Amino acid sequence: MKVQDVMITMGNFPVVDVKTILKEALTEMGEANLGLVCITDESKALVGLITDGDLRRKLLKVQKPFSAFFVDDALSHAKKNPIICNPNDNLKEVVQLMGDKQIWDLPVVDENNQLVGLLHLHPAIKKLIE
Amino acid sequence: MEQRIVTVGYGDVKKVNIGGTLPLAFVGGPCAIEDRDHAMFMAESIAEICDKLDIPWIYKSCYDKDCRSSPKSFHGVGIDEGLKILTEVRETFKVPVVSDFSDASWAAATGEVCDMVQVPAYLCRQTSILRAAAATNRPILLKKGQFMSPWNMKNSCRKLEAFGNEQIILADRGTFMGYNMLVNDMTSFPIMGYTGYPVCYDATHSIQLPTSMGNISGGQREFIPYLVRSAVANGINLLFMETHDNPSKALSDANTVLDIKYLENVLYQAKKVHEMRLELFEELGPDNVHPTNE
Repeated sequence: MKVQDVMITMGNFPVVDVKTILKEALTEMGEANLGLVCITDESKALVGLITDGDLRRKLLKVQKPFSAFFVDDALSHAKKNPIICNPNDNLKEVVQLMGDKQIWDLPVVDENNQLVGLLHLHPAIKKLIE
Repeated sequence: MEQRIVTVGYGDVKKVNIGGTLPLAFVGGPCAIEDRDHAMFMAESIAEICDKLDIPWIYKSCYDKDCRSSPKSFHGVGIDEGLKILTEVRETFKVPVVSDFSDASWAAATGEVCDMVQVPAYLCRQTSILRAAAATNRPILLKKGQFMSPWNMKNSCRKLEAFGNEQIILADRGTFMGYNMLVNDMTSFPIMGYTGYPVCYDATHSIQLPTSMGNISGGQREFIPYLVRSAVANGINLLFMETHDNPSKALSDANTVLDIKYLENVLYQAKKVHEMRLELFEELGPDNVHPTNE
């Protein structure tokens, strides 16, 4: 079983571009009902990732007014080198990695550094126990 | 953040490069174009001072003042006459010129003549105005509205970028503190600078007391030198000041324009402070105090 067999495909999870402000990124996350948003550049390469957890930690630290926080580039609050996986990776091994790292979602990036999908833990486990 | 350089000037005028660690540039002139002879006199007088101080500069004067406090106030010479005068100024003195425009339909003609177009502060988030400004393909001097936070100016920049123009200079002309009163938040310069675009300080409008005199605006000109030194030390790239040979008789902003007899003194100080800031930058590198949230 490979990651690509169960990953959420492009268009079905939140992806924003590098010029997106934080407020717009949060809206995307809310609409998709997922706890993260991926940020890609002009060539659709993954350049950052924001998760609910990152935001929780930011909220306790940020000192500027919320109106200023919201207009920051989402990228400036993103994790720049997130853990990723490849569509051809073995699903079981990747799920094991997600367990070890306590990650619920993992961006799927191909050999050309293009974001091609998102591996969400629940459907991955469901697939493995079927 | 990549620091952008904006070049103002087309044709054979002296181009003015603005941004980064370049020399401080100046933009100024009478608030409104009063008539041809006055414009030529003012341009010649400012040129003499800027040449003496070796300060790159842009002539600013507007053909239509659409935000005056009273219907009786001087409204301007109009777009046709105004642009004709600005053409003569730029051709005679080889200096770039700028005027604002407050109606989207005036933008194309303004951009045909002017080396830079100015978006008035009250209209800084008006999509139709920003679209028209962008379409001129000229650099844009975008004033921060007195009602706007510096961080929200990014939204206006994003509009201009979306309309295909990334030659932007962001200017602070004060922020409303209650009624009839403006203050300068000096953090607005680094905050607007985070966009990567050059930042400008509009000293003479910042000391304005908007509509404080019933149906005209007052001002506190005596604070201009203090605020200019602060803003230049803060890291601005462009200094904006309106100036006049006889402020009390000026047809627009009589209570805020700087008497030209003080212009050399203030510009000299501004240049010195800017050079000192660049020396410190050279010696110490960019400011690197950790933000509270790190």
